[in-house]
Amino acid sequence: MTSEHQEKETVLSRRDFLATSAFLTATVAGFGIIAGFFRFFKSDVRYEEPSVFKIGKPENFPVGTARKLDDKKVFVFSDDGGFYAISCVCTHLGCIVHTSDNGFTCPCHGSKYNTAGKVISGPAPRSLPWFEITQDVDGSLVVNAGSEVPSGTKVKYS
Amino acid sequence: MYSRFYLSVLLMSGLVLVTYLVLTAYDGVMPEWKHYQIEYKELLIKNAKDDATRTRAQSMQSGLRQTYLAGLKREDRCVNCHLGVDNPMMADAKLPFKKHSGNYLANHPVDKFGCTVCHDGQGSATTLESAHGKGHGAHWDRPVLPLEYVQSSCAQCHDFDMLSKNGGAKVAGGETLFNEKGCRGCHKVNGRGGSLGKTLDKVGSEPIAYFSMKHVIGDHTVYNWLKRHFEDPQNIMRNSEMKVSLKGSDSALLTMFAMTLRSDEMPKQYRDMKYTPEVKLNGESLYKRYCIACHEDGTRSLYNEIFNRTIPAIRNPAFLKAADDKTLETIIKEGRKSTQMTSWKTVASGVSDEDVKNIIGYLSEKRPAEKYEPFPIPMSQGEPNNGKNIFETHCSVCHGKDGRGGEDRLGVSLRSPVVQKMVNPEFLAATIRDGRSGTPMPPFGKDAIGLGDKDIADVVAYVRAFPK
Amino acid sequence: MNEVEVNEIERSGLSKFTDNLKSLAATVFGSVFRNGSPNSDKARASAIFNNFFLHIQGTKTHINTLRPSYTLGLGLISFFLLVIVVASGIFLMVYYNPSVENAYQSVKNIIYVVFGGNVTRNIHKWAGEGMIIFVLLHMARVFFTGSYKSGREFNWVVGVILLILVFVLNLTGYLLPWDQLSYWALVIVSNIMQSPRELTDSLGITRFFDVGTFSREFFLAGMVPGKESLNRVYLFHVMVLPLIISVFAGIHFWRIRKDGGMTKPDAFSPTVSDSGYAVPPAKTAGIFPTHKTYGLMELARGKTPSVDKDIENMVFSWPNLLIAELAVLMLTLAAVVVYSYYINAPIREFANPLIPENPAKAPWYFLGLQELLSYSAFMGGAGLPMLTLFGLFLIPYLDREQYNVGTWFTDRKGKLIAFEAFVISTVLLIGILVFAVNFGWLRSWFPEIPQLVITLVNPGSIWVGFIIVWSLFVIRRTGSTRMGAMSLFVMFLVSYVILTYFATEMRGPNWGFFWSMSQWPIH
Repeated sequence: MTSEHQEKETVLSRRDFLATSAFLTATVAGFGIIAGFFRFFKSDVRYEEPSVFKIGKPENFPVGTARKLDDKKVFVFSDDGGFYAISCVCTHLGCIVHTSDNGFTCPCHGSKYNTAGKVISGPAPRSLPWFEITQDVDGSLVVNAGSEVPSGTKVKYS
Repeated sequence: MYSRFYLSVLLMSGLVLVTYLVLTAYDGVMPEWKHYQIEYKELLIKNAKDDATRTRAQSMQSGLRQTYLAGLKREDRCVNCHLGVDNPMMADAKLPFKKHSGNYLANHPVDKFGCTVCHDGQGSATTLESAHGKGHGAHWDRPVLPLEYVQSSCAQCHDFDMLSKNGGAKVAGGETLFNEKGCRGCHKVNGRGGSLGKTLDKVGSEPIAYFSMKHVIGDHTVYNWLKRHFEDPQNIMRNSEMKVSLKGSDSALLTMFAMTLRSDEMPKQYRDMKYTPEVKLNGESLYKRYCIACHEDGTRSLYNEIFNRTIPAIRNPAFLKAADDKTLETIIKEGRKSTQMTSWKTVASGVSDEDVKNIIGYLSEKRPAEKYEPFPIPMSQGEPNNGKNIFETHCSVCHGKDGRGGEDRLGVSLRSPVVQKMVNPEFLAATIRDGRSGTPMPPFGKDAIGLGDKDIADVVAYVRAFPK
Repeated sequence: MNEVEVNEIERSGLSKFTDNLKSLAATVFGSVFRNGSPNSDKARASAIFNNFFLHIQGTKTHINTLRPSYTLGLGLISFFLLVIVVASGIFLMVYYNPSVENAYQSVKNIIYVVFGGNVTRNIHKWAGEGMIIFVLLHMARVFFTGSYKSGREFNWVVGVILLILVFVLNLTGYLLPWDQLSYWALVIVSNIMQSPRELTDSLGITRFFDVGTFSREFFLAGMVPGKESLNRVYLFHVMVLPLIISVFAGIHFWRIRKDGGMTKPDAFSPTVSDSGYAVPPAKTAGIFPTHKTYGLMELARGKTPSVDKDIENMVFSWPNLLIAELAVLMLTLAAVVVYSYYINAPIREFANPLIPENPAKAPWYFLGLQELLSYSAFMGGAGLPMLTLFGLFLIPYLDREQYNVGTWFTDRKGKLIAFEAFVISTVLLIGILVFAVNFGWLRSWFPEIPQLVITLVNPGSIWVGFIIVWSLFVIRRTGSTRMGAMSLFVMFLVSYVILTYFATEMRGPNWGFFWSMSQWPIH
């Protein structure tokens, strides 16, 4: 095969609209399938506790309450400033913290937080998040563990 | 040539493939429920009364929701379309956005109870047809319960006592009807009842395939089958022996009760049953529960076409004269062979000895104090040959020449063990002399047809000499 | 060259490193693919030769192989269906849970809440069942072009093994949704497995040799499908059988190469339509000799099947063959996706061991067997299928004529014989079915007849007996074993199709006869 022949052929195949479009469609389809497969893996439903949950009427949390809701992984406090909820999941590697003398301590790697959830020692990278508390139409308090509020946000309900 | 051919095939099928991938993706992004969520969001924004609610409505995220109920082993996805179920603003909205009626959700929050626990249907489905599970194509055994029968679900966790006072009057009424119609005379529920009919536990949750839908008009569902069946059993099941024909509201009540009989027991934390000690029922209630279906009020003997035999009048004074308490107890506990009277011993029917005693007490209320006028001569020493002549003249008309009674004759069989064994000669004689009120048996004594005591003794002797 | 060396020495180590960094993409790419875009004969050859996935194909392909009318692409379609099934199967495994409690619900979840889950499930189902059809069609193509001959005998046997594996894979997948349909189909199939008992019982040797119960226990771990059956059927379906089928598919492809590629007619001459290749056939052969010469293979085998054959009608596989293959892949994929978009794979109520579906039917591809089974459990379940498989295995060894290999139907006479067998078997088989439906069989006339007689004399065994006798008669008449094999194979295909159709469409509740499914009494 001569080089002249080769060159002609290359030019030809470049100009071959049919081939180009055919391979292009095939590529698009291939990428489409790959994208679909990644989407397939993303599960749309969750088999876990809902992140928004009712915790009861305000009367059940009189001023001075500090209660750990084990199944919801959250501390609920009530003081003069109002109600607030602090996560009890350590921001380091996800262990459950417990209350200690002046704040919270993580049993796994020794992270310590003060009463507001701010890190004071240990490997934890962030403070414990505060969650939004709202009141439902029936009067019960609702904690939204999916929505963080700035530390120190306390709300009053009656 | 071929490379062109193959390239065209490649291009064409590539285009088709891309098209259908896009269609599939579109279906994935815009499933049926998504349209409802979009409509609901618009509705929320439109109905918002102040800015705060409007902002909240505008921030509503659409997406697949489910109530995962680990304790109930189900995930209900009904809320993907029934979005306003706990939103008071949606009280007047159209379905599926309408708020749940009443204040049931206050005590049964959706996130704890889900929906299918009360309403049935296929909770995990996300399309209308399969979620409601109606029709043969849905291939689902527990379609959504119509509002008419929803109360049957309440009884899964609540007792009838509580229900009758708190809005569950229908289902409690169903239970009363069940007990008063004597359904337990043939059907067992919770191990108590007769054994002629099918045991009814679980009937409300049985697969549709158990029920022959051939002659059922309307929905092919279990509840519709039950309702039609209570109205006319033989129309649904050609060879049914069931004796009932209820009218509209009663059959609906009984259907409601039957639908409460389900196999799946609710977890303990969901149940709110008061296990009060069982109420002692008096003889009358017991009679209604176990006997009334066949014997009715028990004052007249009845010919039953399906059973093809006469059902004795057990509360008839004349009958009770013959049967003392001991005899009654034997009959009730042992049953009567080759009849529909089955054994009511505790092991067979679950009815306690005390209840049987109460029933007997109720029956014997009607027994006359005086049994019968005594005879001057002994009735056990008659002359059978003379008795034969008299029998053929007077008795064989109804009881048959051979004393077997028979299908089209009025009289009972005189060869039955009851007549032959349980009844003493004096009683037989008294029956012949005085007749039996409430039955076709007329008196034959001196004052009536004119048989003397001697003749009666002869007939008794002849009757008692029948080969068994 | 010298200059470069000098430069190398003079340059500092760091600049060498930065140069390497600059050319990183090119060198990595080059080391993986070795060639750039192939635009010379040598490059085209090595594009195939040096690629792990492509080197199972020759660097050059015969023009006959590229003719769509010769292979019809059937084997390739079967292979691509396998690829599609494996891929979609892996994705279904992400959400499927093989336990009696969760299996049904997890399938429902795939249908209702997984993105594209329903279509993926349909693709898996339809591509899997499509494999049965296309493997059978491929087998028919191979048979009718005589491609099981001249060194390819064993590859035919491997193909039959692959067919069996496809059947078993489909069957094991059928149980997994754990719904009424799958449960009762598996009950039927487990009884088919049990069927050798009928013979062993008649002979009174069940106590010593109970192969029926053994196979059933092996497959289902019990008399009816239960907890453990689901587990082991799942294991077979996703692990054991896919491994086995991959190995055999590998052998199948490898043997194609080693047995000299596709068959082609002895007197092959290109026609007008054999032109217009992306890279035309090299008449002058370029750097390659005009005749196939000895290569590496001679060390092991002395001579490859292609030595001394002309290479005149060979074209480069890159890109001619690859375009064809890609086109078939895309066509298969598109067809499966379109079909799956519209037709949903069935799912019924949750499995209930107390309520049989009526009629309880095996999966459609076994319904022909179930029809035979309704005459005699042993013959339908074990005897006749075994005989058929034996026949299929032995065809290349019993018919060893090497005449006109690579030509559809061999010659004019072959076409006539095939047509004759088609007509005769269609008419007679329908006749036998009509007879059995209308008049019943021996037991209807002589209720006391021993089971052994029915086992041996029933419509199924009579029919198979007839096929064998007819084929022998054809061999005697034509003096050609190829013609006998032709009749046998045509009649086998016709029987499979007619029996399957008959049992699918015309057998209703209680295995009664109905003209069509729409006449079934409502249930």
